[in-house]
Amino acid sequence: MPPAGIWIDGLIQSCTYMTMAFGMVLVFSILGILNWTHGQFYMLGAFVVYYAITAAGIPFFISIGITGLIIAGLGILIKKIIIDQVQGDLYISVVTISLIFFFEGAASMIFGMQDKGLAMVLPGVINLGSFSVSYQKIAVVIFTLVVMIGMYIVLNYTKVGLAIRAAAQQPDAASLYGVSVERLSFIVMGIGCALAAMAGGIMAPLYTVNPFIGGIPMIMSLLAIVIGGIGSLTGAIVGGLILGFLNSVVAYHLSYFSEVVLFVLVIIILLVRPQGLFGASLK
Amino acid sequence: MMPFIDYKNVIPKTVIGLLVFLIVLIPVFTTNVATLSMLILSGIWAIAVMGFTLVLRTGQFSLGQAAFMAIGGYTSAIFTVKLGWPFWPSFFLAGVVSGIVALLVGMVVLRVGGIYFSIITLALSEIVRIIAQQWESVTRGTRGLITSMPDPISLGGFEINFFASTVPYFYLTLCLVALTALIFWRIGESRLGRSFAGIALNPVLAEHQGMYLMKYRVIAFTVAGVFTGLAGSLYAHSLTVITPYMLGLWQSIQIMIMSIVGGISSLAGGPIIGAILLYTFGTYLIRLEIYGIQQLLFGAVVVLVLLFLPKGTGLVDLWERFWRKVVWREEEYEPDTPDD
Amino acid sequence: MPCLELKNVTKHFGRLAALEGIDLRVEQGEILGIVGPNGSGKTTLINVISGYFRPTKGEIFFNDKKISGLRPDRIAARGILRTFQSNVLYEGATVIESMLISSYQQYKSNHWHSFFNTRTWKDENEKVVGRVIELVKLLDLLNDTFLPAEGLSHGYQRMLGISMAMIANPSVLLLDEPTTGMNHKEAMFVVDKIKKINEQGVTVILIEHNMKVLLDVATRVVVLSFGTKIAEGKPEEVMNQQEVIEAYLGTETF
Repeated sequence: MPPAGIWIDGLIQSCTYMTMAFGMVLVFSILGILNWTHGQFYMLGAFVVYYAITAAGIPFFISIGITGLIIAGLGILIKKIIIDQVQGDLYISVVTISLIFFFEGAASMIFGMQDKGLAMVLPGVINLGSFSVSYQKIAVVIFTLVVMIGMYIVLNYTKVGLAIRAAAQQPDAASLYGVSVERLSFIVMGIGCALAAMAGGIMAPLYTVNPFIGGIPMIMSLLAIVIGGIGSLTGAIVGGLILGFLNSVVAYHLSYFSEVVLFVLVIIILLVRPQGLFGASLK
Repeated sequence: MMPFIDYKNVIPKTVIGLLVFLIVLIPVFTTNVATLSMLILSGIWAIAVMGFTLVLRTGQFSLGQAAFMAIGGYTSAIFTVKLGWPFWPSFFLAGVVSGIVALLVGMVVLRVGGIYFSIITLALSEIVRIIAQQWESVTRGTRGLITSMPDPISLGGFEINFFASTVPYFYLTLCLVALTALIFWRIGESRLGRSFAGIALNPVLAEHQGMYLMKYRVIAFTVAGVFTGLAGSLYAHSLTVITPYMLGLWQSIQIMIMSIVGGISSLAGGPIIGAILLYTFGTYLIRLEIYGIQQLLFGAVVVLVLLFLPKGTGLVDLWERFWRKVVWREEEYEPDTPDD
Repeated sequence: MPCLELKNVTKHFGRLAALEGIDLRVEQGEILGIVGPNGSGKTTLINVISGYFRPTKGEIFFNDKKISGLRPDRIAARGILRTFQSNVLYEGATVIESMLISSYQQYKSNHWHSFFNTRTWKDENEKVVGRVIELVKLLDLLNDTFLPAEGLSHGYQRMLGISMAMIANPSVLLLDEPTTGMNHKEAMFVVDKIKKINEQGVTVILIEHNMKVLLDVATRVVVLSFGTKIAEGKPEEVMNQQEVIEAYLGTETF
């Protein structure tokens, strides 16, 4: 039985992956775009938060909000000037994969390759019996809960949210809610990228910030949505949850082998039950 | 102009022929190790890119081609270094092993298409890397294996010494590139190529016209695997080392980039152009020692090609357009608007 | 003699019964029409015969050999070819390229011949290209040979679909609504071509909404409703049967 610390790390990882996977699935199921660059938005989000705090002295939680907005804008820009000009799933994948390189290179050149450490913004720990949890980690969990609840409310109770859900079934249906298809696609892309960026931001104080931190979250989101079911929003959440713990707990027991287990699991799922746990329907 | 020669067809091809001839003769003009090495490595990547393009021709987007290079490279490295085999049988075996892996994996994995297939190849690529890293007893893990050039060959008094100069290895690579290009080009022109096109453009329709999807997908994937494995072996021996991180996901993505930029409409010319141009460009960028600029520009180049060149074309198609529009000053062919 | 026989063919999708207990015999050389309101299972029937779906129950025989459960390419190899209602074409290919791809089954020689560009391949290829040109002329597509297939008008795209099925050497041709979306002139053109194809010995099964077309060309007609066969016989007879009229009440295809 792994120590509590491992379970907590698993939880933290789950939170990251859930948020990112949710953003990725949103964009995929509504816009049909599998955005391979998603991980880079995580990385860029972390950098924005880093500079907001260290260079501009903006408080942590406001920085998170700012990074969400900025990266949402970036995502929308990328969609408009690049992704929309390209037709065909193949070429969209090619372009978004190439943008991974582009952003990693750009970040390396602009921000430099070295690790940047962000001091704990919420120092201190809370003692729960035999182990302690830093406030920073609790913040991650709370943040994720807020995001999930927020998304639930938006998707079920706001006009925009209902338009989004309608559009998942029928692309033109958004206009029935008074939201133009184009505007809807921007909103969806914006939300998806913002989620990735904010995940990057909230995790920034816990680990390092460098141009390469986007790779693993990207692969993990991908695996999460495969496990949960490529078209399903609930699936993304469940998949992220499973993946975070799998990664942490299994790694504790099996170290490197857990990675292989993970990849093999994903391959089997894709071959045997590509709809994952929750199928291809939007929930 | 002699009227009975179709000069519009012949002249561009003669120019290409001349360029190829010059490339073959490069070692006569220079034995500069850096230049030759650059061409050797471009050639090796060109083979891998041809493999990627062949698989893409059947409608499958593989993000795992570098894994076959790794399999080929490690096979020949293990046999030469650990088992003391000579280079040539190991080289041959590299192709065989990669081919067998491609065949077995392909038979299972090619049943799915599209994004699912891409994700699976991505996962496989990582699995190969992890195996290479962890199977210490065989691969020496992250330290990798140190390989060496092939032993000298005596051909009746005349000795080919790979250690003395890079020239023999250049010709070895050139031969493999030429062989691969020839075979892949013929595949594209033949009935096999037509079937590939059919199953890529509309699998359901193709199936109903008698084409067994799995057969053709597996053929393409296996052939690509064999040659990519051979390229991997050349890679390992050229750089005299092979480690798990040399041929992973990022390299698979680079192969994809070279293919798209070179142009996927061509199975030989496009990949070769893409590989040579991007590899030399990349080497130059690395020399600038600005970290990140290579990634940035590689990513940018693909985006630019996709935005500004017509769909499905790459640099290789520019050659034809250059001759038609600039040299022959031909009008663009506008099809008549269809009557309803 | 019956060349195609369906025995108790049933196809369920979950709880939806698209086809239920279909018994059908198709005689060699006849032109069989399949009619029925939308959703009656016509396209599903073709999908099951062509191998796209496996029947949930029942069997299909072609020349007394069982074909139900085979892959579509195996069924096509036996000479049963079909057209599609949507997703008809090879995206991005020109007319001639589409035809060349579709001519796959015409070639008897080994792939190695075409790889090495041998005399055998060259001769066979010439013959096939000749047939392609013949078919292209027959179906009035000659002017558009080098154009992208998507540039053709809807009617011509359908014609191309039929030509592609023809070049694959069928003995049985399954046409899925060949005249839908065409005006009267185009529809009659297609009917004429179907007759010519049938004269060459090809058995034709066509799904049609247009009764005029069926009266003109079909030797026999089968009526489906909610996945079951409710009538069968000569077009004129079937048209006037009570059940058939009731099944169609509400639709304006008459």
